[in-house]
Amino acid sequence: MTFRQFAYNNVVRNKRLYAAYFLSSMFTVMVFFTFAIFAYHPLLADGQINHNVQGGMSTAKWMIYAFSFFFVLYSMSSFLKTRKKEFGLLMMQGMSPGQLRQMVFLENIIIGFAATLGGIVLGLVFAKAILLAGEHILVIEGGLNFYFPARAIGITCFSFFILFLLISLFISSVLRSGKLIDLIKGSQKARSEPRASMLLSLLVLVLIGTGYTLSLLARGGDAFILLLPVSIIVTIGSYLLFTQLSVYIIRRLKSRESFFWKRTNMLLLSDLSYRMKDNARTFFLVCIVSTVSFCAIGSLYGLQSVVSKNVALSNPYVISYLAKGSGADAQRHAEVIDQTFRKHGIQATRIDEVLTEYNMKDDAFTQMIVSESMFNRLAARVDQPPIQLAAGETVAVTPFQLQLDRLDVPSTTASGVHVRPDRLIQTGVLAVEGIPFVVPDEMYARLGKPAAQRSLHVWTGDQEQQGVLAAGKEIYTELDPSTESHRIAVPAYDVNQELGSYGMILFIGLFIGIVFFVSAGSFLYFRLYSDLDEDKQKFRSIAKLGLTIPELNRVLNRQIVLLFFAPIIVAMLHGAVALTTLANMFQTSLLRESLIVLGIFFLIQLVYFLIVRFFYIKQVRAAIR
Amino acid sequence: MLNVNQISKTYAGKIAYKALTDIQFTIEDGEFVGIMGPSGSGKTTLLNLIATIDEPTSGQILINGENINRMKKNELARFRRRELGFIFQDFNLLHTLTVQENIVLPLTLDGSKVSEMKQKAAAIADKLGITSIMNKRTYEISGGQAQRTAIARAMIHSPKMLLADEPTGNLDSKSARDVMEMLENINREQQTTMMLVTHDPVAASYCSRVIFIRDGHLYSEIHRGDNRQAFFQKIIDTLSLLGGHTNDISSIRL
Repeated sequence: MTFRQFAYNNVVRNKRLYAAYFLSSMFTVMVFFTFAIFAYHPLLADGQINHNVQGGMSTAKWMIYAFSFFFVLYSMSSFLKTRKKEFGLLMMQGMSPGQLRQMVFLENIIIGFAATLGGIVLGLVFAKAILLAGEHILVIEGGLNFYFPARAIGITCFSFFILFLLISLFISSVLRSGKLIDLIKGSQKARSEPRASMLLSLLVLVLIGTGYTLSLLARGGDAFILLLPVSIIVTIGSYLLFTQLSVYIIRRLKSRESFFWKRTNMLLLSDLSYRMKDNARTFFLVCIVSTVSFCAIGSLYGLQSVVSKNVALSNPYVISYLAKGSGADAQRHAEVIDQTFRKHGIQATRIDEVLTEYNMKDDAFTQMIVSESMFNRLAARVDQPPIQLAAGETVAVTPFQLQLDRLDVPSTTASGVHVRPDRLIQTGVLAVEGIPFVVPDEMYARLGKPAAQRSLHVWTGDQEQQGVLAAGKEIYTELDPSTESHRIAVPAYDVNQELGSYGMILFIGLFIGIVFFVSAGSFLYFRLYSDLDEDKQKFRSIAKLGLTIPELNRVLNRQIVLLFFAPIIVAMLHGAVALTTLANMFQTSLLRESLIVLGIFFLIQLVYFLIVRFFYIKQVRAAIR
Repeated sequence: MLNVNQISKTYAGKIAYKALTDIQFTIEDGEFVGIMGPSGSGKTTLLNLIATIDEPTSGQILINGENINRMKKNELARFRRRELGFIFQDFNLLHTLTVQENIVLPLTLDGSKVSEMKQKAAAIADKLGITSIMNKRTYEISGGQAQRTAIARAMIHSPKMLLADEPTGNLDSKSARDVMEMLENINREQQTTMMLVTHDPVAASYCSRVIFIRDGHLYSEIHRGDNRQAFFQKIIDTLSLLGGHTNDISSIRL
């Protein structure tokens, strides 16, 4: 057995110990690789999709890479911490510090090599699914075919070879062997119970309370200004929450003997208080990382649905054409649209209306005012609720969510009719820019001669029907969508375009969010498993005093529940507050989207928890027998 | 061979604890010395100091005239794998390796030739009667076999000195006797200097000299004559004087 064989055997025969480290490394490689497959897809690389997409992809890829670096580094160092005793024994047999470094280096290279290969193979398996998902989210016509991603493989191999090499070199050079006696006794050494100050614990409530209040009260653009200070306040608050408040609460619980000395509480709490020092750091890290991932995914998902909701709401027609200025070309343009629709076999009914604009008193601009009956006629054609006006009442209509009291609208026409709007209705029935008024027919008749007349041509039908996208594109190229003389809107095509660019951001955000979330899970796993040996030993001795299996399960269950859900629940609270602020900022409700995102994360965490608990309890139970 | 010179060891802490005070003794080449004493007397601390696992607060330890406290880390590593053999109470075999691989580990670390390692391992396994389990993994063998493997590992590089911490502590009386007889044989045939820390008077009775420690101080030492049975009795007598409580002595094998 040569030294190299020894290092190799040490890894290969000890798969369980290395599994967690290997799997998390492999996962990182896989994420990077699948992303690279996507980013280097010929369709994207050929520049058919715009440059923003490519630039964003490339940035995101290197962000994932940078995160991978720190993630692998963290995994490695927490993995090495659990192996103190082994290192002590080897040094006892005469291993020199240099040889120890050499061994760790070799191990890392072996694992890194296997993880890179494994990650690429797994990535290839999932590639088709990823491409399909990407195609759907990015709304790419023609589709992303599966291809052999030679370039992605090359880049992944090369960059992760460098990554593992750097980390191996780094770890093995900072690996301090320390005193032999400390290594051999390693985990047996008593840890001191962390202390907590009441003042700092109270500060947690103040900090997090302030952060939450500030962000919940923020309106509109305030949120942007508050983003940084609130993040800092909440981050500090969370850190103190786990290092101070939690320790403080545990100590208070411990001092209440009626609670502490009750059944298995003693076991659970005494353990918790001693482990809190190590746990606090993990909890904090997991909490922050998860918060970032919730916020990223939640806000992107929220934004996307806001965008599609807004566009669809603003225009309920298949296509709308509004003439501006003289409107000389309107009739000809409408013919072009009709022809294009026939060519693409689109089922749509054309409606022609004339909208009127009036001069206003004390206002340079003309104001569009339409009659109640005309509005209701159009509304009926697109299944929108009609407006019921009282005598003399005026309403303003707009497709956007606006507040009337914040708008500067004119109140009297040049002919002296008072038309100050009494309320605002959000609807896209009129398919025009600006804020037209709707007045009762009797009042409309009194308005006098309009300053301008504009012809409106709209086509009603199924907005999503086959061929609309192609027709929309054709119309947009033939007739400029927005000129001095007219404005054309094909909502289905607009949404599609918007989603295309949002989809890219969403896709990247989703990827990064998932990476963060899964790495948070790995942090927890490493934390838990570094206590496994200690737990085994502890429960072995307690079992001798008489501990039933259900009692053991209960203690371990609570311990793992705390580890898995304490940081996640705090992160979810943070995330919920952040998403509420975002919703306030866009003056819309993101409740459904937030619940979906947080719910999915919670479910994933729950499944992860159940799996880890099953194996952990199984291992401890096996040790007792 | 071994010269322990005015050694003290204090554990720092809120209340400093003096584990060893001014310990002084020498062990000659080829001697087989036992260290005994009640729980907490400092036996294992003393052994750890000599094994270079821990460092004394004051005083010095010379092995073959070399001050082991002055050695650099790499020198120490070389010293451990060439001059020292160590046997633990809980064997401390590496569970990733087979019995044979565990045995050759010190030579592997020293970069010996594979053929040489094989040959040495075969020879020592034959002597210790573990040839049949050479390719097994450590979880497939019994406690007695594990301790014999550990002895083989401690002996394969023919160290000048063999240190053992309660080598029989985890073994049944039959295996304990076998292990002690093996150590005695190795001591006799290869003239390896041995030092062993034990609670067990039976194990101690295989030594040629037993040093007693109490509360970190040297208490007394007795030499073995020709008769192991008489030596055993003397050990029991000293222990009862030393501890005051016969409970401290493992009474199982009396």
